[in-house]
Amino acid sequence: MAKGIKVRFQPSLAITLLILGIFVFVPMISAFEYSIRTPLTGGYGWTHYIWAIREEDFLHYILRSMWLAGVTVLITLFVLVPTLTWLHLSNSKVRGLIDGLSLLPLVIPVVAFAVGAQISFPEFVQNTVLELPFLYFVLALPYAYRSLDIGLNSIPLKTITEAARSAGANWWRTITAVIIPVIRGSVMATIALTFALSLGEFTLTVLLHWDTFPTWVTFVAQDNILGAIAISMMSLIIPFLILTVITLFVPERSIQGRK
Amino acid sequence: MSSKSLKLQNISKRFGNVIALDNFNLEVGVGELVALLGPSGCGKTTALRVVAGLEHQDGGTVLVAEENISDVPAHKRNMGMVFQAYSLFPNLTVEENVAFGLQMRKVSKNVRLKKAHELLDLVGLDSQSKRFTHQLSGGQQQRVALARALAFEPEILLLDEPLSALDAQVRVNLREEIRRLQLSLGTTTLFVTHDQEEAMAISDRVGVMNNGVLEQIDTPDALYNKPASSFVASFVGTMNRIPAHISDGMVEIFGSKVTALRRGDTSGKVHALIRPESISVVATTVRSNAKVLTRSFMGASSNIICQTEDGIIVQSLMTSASTGDLHPGSEVQLQILSNEVLVTNA
Repeated sequence: MAKGIKVRFQPSLAITLLILGIFVFVPMISAFEYSIRTPLTGGYGWTHYIWAIREEDFLHYILRSMWLAGVTVLITLFVLVPTLTWLHLSNSKVRGLIDGLSLLPLVIPVVAFAVGAQISFPEFVQNTVLELPFLYFVLALPYAYRSLDIGLNSIPLKTITEAARSAGANWWRTITAVIIPVIRGSVMATIALTFALSLGEFTLTVLLHWDTFPTWVTFVAQDNILGAIAISMMSLIIPFLILTVITLFVPERSIQGRK
Repeated sequence: MSSKSLKLQNISKRFGNVIALDNFNLEVGVGELVALLGPSGCGKTTALRVVAGLEHQDGGTVLVAEENISDVPAHKRNMGMVFQAYSLFPNLTVEENVAFGLQMRKVSKNVRLKKAHELLDLVGLDSQSKRFTHQLSGGQQQRVALARALAFEPEILLLDEPLSALDAQVRVNLREEIRRLQLSLGTTTLFVTHDQEEAMAISDRVGVMNNGVLEQIDTPDALYNKPASSFVASFVGTMNRIPAHISDGMVEIFGSKVTALRRGDTSGKVHALIRPESISVVATTVRSNAKVLTRSFMGASSNIICQTEDGIIVQSLMTSASTGDLHPGSEVQLQILSNEVLVTNA
């Protein structure tokens, strides 16, 4: 089908894409150019990247942040997919209220979350770094919620849910074997958004006195700004590669099934 | 095939102030195909959903082979269901869709794919097994849905207006196919439709519903020829309602006295309910009692609309061969061909 589609040149679209490209890529390219400078020789080299990889804390903190981001993704999917499925199926008036509530993290200052966590979380939760994913989940809620909501709106949810149940699937199997694969695009977007937001979260982590990859980069920047930029570039590239690999390994099926 | 009987006892269901089912009773025998027929909002789909476990009744009992399954969740009821809307899983191929029920029952992959191909062969779509569902036509999708509903050998097959989204010719073909499959597999089937032709064509018995109540359940012949109520009479098939006078159990129609099928009132004004095929129209200039308004040729038969001297519109269905001399404006004599008619209060 794709072979038959002729892409017409549209000047307005080209200009928009150009501006968007400049906005996104110029800072990244500049940072990259800056990170490969070698001030002593005045040329370019991989010195700072080699330095960063040799830093023994690099792997420790990036793995920690990725692990916390992974846990956040699991919490997000585990809580949001069943909740949104129920909200869509029940046609409840509560849905409007929850739609609104899901936007609150955008307007509540992060410091309020930090203070709230210190007041309300039980001590055994506060004593573990695993308190962060619960808070990251709240911060990612406005984006994750909307992404899944759009996916569920675009499918005949009631019919396929009932078809799955009448064919013998319990609720768990209905969600995992039918709903999630059918809205795979939305789920992947949710994973990417939540993962990226969790991986880069700084303020809340600092306020709660935890060390993760972003806080470590800040610490490194105090002594070696070029090294810190090299690390930041890697922190952009590594999750991107991981998400790309995940996308490639999940079978590409559901999108083509939609009409 | 492990088909079982189905019994609904005193089922009631409300949605807010709306009564969907009011003390609803129904029995479907093993291997029988029963259709629930009725206008929109009469409760027929609700009844089907209660059987499937997709709605829970406010009161009453659902029995399968005399076992109470009222509180059994939908996924444990072992009932295949085909929906009005296309309900195939878009992320799965045709064969995976058909094998889905067996996968949920933890049947090994080889066995379930073999079974899926058997069913696809039965519905004539084995060659499409590797395709995705959006690559199929509407009729093909409903065939796959039927195969999916039958693949795990359900105790009862539930059909929720599965043909209503299809083109006329596809509908006719698929309904015949549904009947053929149902008979060959012996599956107890409950079929919900608002299309009386569909219901009459393939069902062993048809239940006519109105306002959450089963007005009558009978064979298509009996339902057509001996409707139990005025609603059934007017809902099933076409019916002339001709004002008449009843006296001593007899009514006079077009100058002939015939037996009134209703007991009760012995005299007074009534409406006689007469099928178009029970009225003959004969061209005459001597003793005419009506004029032809239109004649619609429909192949073997023709539909004649007449107006009596009293201004009553009467419809007649006759063989085309016998209506060749009838034209709009023709003077005609209407005659009733039946010895008895159903009457209802005027």
